[in-house]
Amino acid sequence: MEQTSVVRAALVVALGALLDAVIGPYLTFGWVSPHFTLIAIVFAVSAMGELHSVLLGFFGGILLDALGGGLFGVGALGGLLAATLSLRTRATRRKSAERLVLAQVVAMTVAGYGLIQLVATNLARLGAPPLGEYLMVGLIPDAVLNGVLAYLLGDWLLRMTRSRMRSWEAR
Amino acid sequence: MSRSSSSPAGALAALVILGIASLALFTVYVKEGDCSGESECGPLHTVQLGAAEVLRPVRSIVGMVLSPFDAVEDRISGALSTEEKRLREELRAKEELAAQASRLERENARLRELLNGERAVYRYGPLARVVAPVGGNFANRVVINVGTADGIEPNMPVVVGKSTLVGRTTKVSRNTAEVMLVTDQSFTAGVRIIPPAEFDPESGELSPAVTSEESSYGEGLLKTSLDGYLGVEYVALSARAEKGDYVVTSGRAENFELLYPPGLLVGTVEQASSQDIKQFKDIVVDPAMTPDDLEEVRVIVDW
Repeated sequence: MEQTSVVRAALVVALGALLDAVIGPYLTFGWVSPHFTLIAIVFAVSAMGELHSVLLGFFGGILLDALGGGLFGVGALGGLLAATLSLRTRATRRKSAERLVLAQVVAMTVAGYGLIQLVATNLARLGAPPLGEYLMVGLIPDAVLNGVLAYLLGDWLLRMTRSRMRSWEAR
Repeated sequence: MSRSSSSPAGALAALVILGIASLALFTVYVKEGDCSGESECGPLHTVQLGAAEVLRPVRSIVGMVLSPFDAVEDRISGALSTEEKRLREELRAKEELAAQASRLERENARLRELLNGERAVYRYGPLARVVAPVGGNFANRVVINVGTADGIEPNMPVVVGKSTLVGRTTKVSRNTAEVMLVTDQSFTAGVRIIPPAEFDPESGELSPAVTSEESSYGEGLLKTSLDGYLGVEYVALSARAEKGDYVVTSGRAENFELLYPPGLLVGTVEQASSQDIKQFKDIVVDPAMTPDDLEEVRVIVDW
């Protein structure tokens, strides 16, 4: 039986936030960029307790807000969305297709995060693109590419965040 | 951690509470002081400034590691556009010749202005290195390695060379400052469109004819459109604006002093068109600076 180590999961999410802040800007092409934190949250909480998942999603998002320099609170909402979607798909996941399902969750999360970012940018009265154009040129390619990235990194992320439970621990 | 350790009801309650907390954080962030102008830094902006300060060494290292890739990219793009580059250089040489023809006249005027004490004299901060790009999908900003310790404050113009406008400072910590580039969608500046013969991009000197009240040169607001094009808005249909004209900061709008001193080069007019049904001209600007090529910049701390 496998379980998620909270410490390892938190470290993976922190690493994701750090990568987003330091390397992310170099990998940004227009409206498309890797969202390492969201990917890390989706995979890290996939086998965690529900309350822990929500907390990790929120604080991972806060870390993204603090390090990234964007609108504060948007990352936190994105983190919560990532954790919630990952939890919701838990019942439908099979071990053999787990990576594929989680990659799809990442794509959905990135799409949702993009919309949150767009609404927040408009609310803050900063320059934001029109919705239609952003959907076609920004949101959909961003979601697809992050889904592919998540699928490629999935095995490693699952190995990093999970540890095998011994029989006496399971009892 | 096993799944059974937390109840779904508790998780749902946490989700609602943390969702509201996120919205509250967003509201506070937007409403609090954003470290610009007279407003002080709010707590959330301070947290981001602290994080930027802590990440500065890491960003420097990553920037250095990735710089060879930038050079390779430059070479590849350079090789692909050799012909275009040659033509551009030729055009620039001709523009310089045209500019030289009126240089003596301008020098004379400049000396006269100097005597009157009206010429803009910039006081620069120390040479600053661009540490790293920052921001999300909708931002176009960089971090430089000077801050309040070097006399830098928010809303100061940042230039490359002597007078090519790069952007303005926004959040400033002790040793770093965030620069909003001219290509950022939130960046605006009052600009004037002037023909090459009336402006020397090397020295940033404007011909007195440009600043005179009878001048018919276009004036407007520099802004990046939602499509990503840098342009000048609100330029009157009757104003002169042609392809190849320089776009420089105007410094003043009637009696109001603007954020930038006059004569900072922003770019050249790439396209200027007007339609009778529109109230203003459509002007697209080719920026003089390329964000990816920025390495060292200066902040104008006083003028």
